[in-house]
Amino acid sequence: MKLMKTASIYLLLMLCVALCIFPFLYMFSLSLQSDADILSGVPILVPEMLQFSNYVDIWQKAPFARFTLNSFIIAGGITFLHLIFDPLIGYVFAKMDFPGKRFMFVAILSTLMIPFFIRMIPLYVLTARMGWLNTYQGLIVPFAMSAYGIFLMRQFIRPIPDELIDAARLDGCSELGVYWRIVLPQVRPALVTLALLTFVFQWNEFLWPLVAVSTTEMRPITTGLTLFNQEYFTQWNLTATGGVILFIPSLLLFLATQRYFVRSVMLAGMK
Amino acid sequence: MAVAGIGNGMAALLRADRLSQRTRRALVAYLLLSPAIVYFTVFFFYPIGLEFLASLHTGQPLIGESRFAGFDNYMTAFQDARVRQSVIVTLAFAIGVTAASIAIGLGLAVLLNRPIPGHAAIRAIIFFPYIISFVIVALMWQAILDPYTGILNSILAELGLPTQSWLSETSTALPTLIAITVWKDVGYAMLIYLAALQSIPSDFYDAASIDGASPAQQFRHVTWPLLTPTTLFIAVVSTISQLQELAPAYLITKGGPADATRLFSLHVFEAAFFELNIGYASALSFLMFLLILAITFVQFRLLNREVSY
Repeated sequence: MKLMKTASIYLLLMLCVALCIFPFLYMFSLSLQSDADILSGVPILVPEMLQFSNYVDIWQKAPFARFTLNSFIIAGGITFLHLIFDPLIGYVFAKMDFPGKRFMFVAILSTLMIPFFIRMIPLYVLTARMGWLNTYQGLIVPFAMSAYGIFLMRQFIRPIPDELIDAARLDGCSELGVYWRIVLPQVRPALVTLALLTFVFQWNEFLWPLVAVSTTEMRPITTGLTLFNQEYFTQWNLTATGGVILFIPSLLLFLATQRYFVRSVMLAGMK
Repeated sequence: MAVAGIGNGMAALLRADRLSQRTRRALVAYLLLSPAIVYFTVFFFYPIGLEFLASLHTGQPLIGESRFAGFDNYMTAFQDARVRQSVIVTLAFAIGVTAASIAIGLGLAVLLNRPIPGHAAIRAIIFFPYIISFVIVALMWQAILDPYTGILNSILAELGLPTQSWLSETSTALPTLIAITVWKDVGYAMLIYLAALQSIPSDFYDAASIDGASPAQQFRHVTWPLLTPTTLFIAVVSTISQLQELAPAYLITKGGPADATRLFSLHVFEAAFFELNIGYASALSFLMFLLILAITFVQFRLLNREVSY
């Protein structure tokens, strides 16, 4: 009876796992098929001849190297700025006292209610006026901080004992010194969480590059691939090859930090 | 130059002995906060003001010729049949994705909330689609669902079931889009539920089984009520994010067939960036902003009332 129950739970879970993995396997299979395989009209799961040349062709048919570089610069730049600012602002709210603190904190938190889609039009106009369309700064600076990251860091900095911080202040440590030498080392795991989540979600960002970039060489992979699907790749095999390239960094990052990543979301997801 | 001047001035102020410790601390705090003040003003508060202003104009406010029109754009929006259609589609989409994510996510969490071998790996695999770009999700499922070369139809044909052009029939396009989005997002609901399940003390279940409650009764009378705040949280977060979702419609169906999957965000996007009807598009997105604000306030009210372990 107990065995039956465990077996049926396993069966159900395996079905879900298969459903999650299958599309990725199919994409991988498509990326190794020849034009003839695709045009045969019969869907093929395991191609007879693995056409690895798709992975060479794609770099020549589209500036994929540039797209990849752009994605790293944009997602990396945003993550870097988050790591600079989110914990610093979080520290000010967690450990310093000043008039207007509550007001400032509520004002920053209230930006959580202003989703990106709502700001898209005025942000486009603003970026255009600054001459930042089709530039890295136009893709990075509007996402330099997040109220969510600030809130998360404040929650982690608050439990650090005040005595520790006051002792450092008495020893003549400046506020920035306290922050750099006492506070940051204590919240290293939270910083990793912040960096992971920020990088992965910015790597996937699609809407803003679609709006703020019109030149081919400034596109990240997400919009670059979409554009080339529409204009140049008419075959599923090359499209799928681009998809695999876009997906590999996410997969590697996830595999390397999987347990940690899952725990981060469980932790950070509960606001 | 000006910045350096202000910096020197601040430094001089900070050195001045007559300033009390308190004032000095406050000045340092504001100095450290200043990047955030500038950032949130420039990229959040100012744009929202700008957008409201633009929504009161017809033509191309902010970028070209425009004329003040009061609330005309809002009036037009309420009478626009295409807007009405896209609001219905968007609500169906957001509610469909949210309800299915909650049901399936909770089911998976309950199944996985036991020490079976491999549960961490299973959890990770089911969660994985949540962290990949919708661009990949779109192209994978388009390939699978392709009416001529896709593998789903050939599997269905093999099993003797009727084949479908899933994404080009008005009756199946929206449900298919919902299913794809749930496939991507359900892992998030599952993880949040798992975290919540792990925080329910096992004493509750021990007491319930001593009283002779069956597993189904335990779920109904112990698990489900205790998960209410989590369910509310997921419901609100998911509804708000799906209401503004653009990627499924933009990448997979382009809003078709016959506007059957024309999500509100796609409508706004096209009004703004294809038709350059900036005033009208601003009014539409401001209306969406008000709706999201309203949902957020309801969330706060409900959560404050319900949380009592």
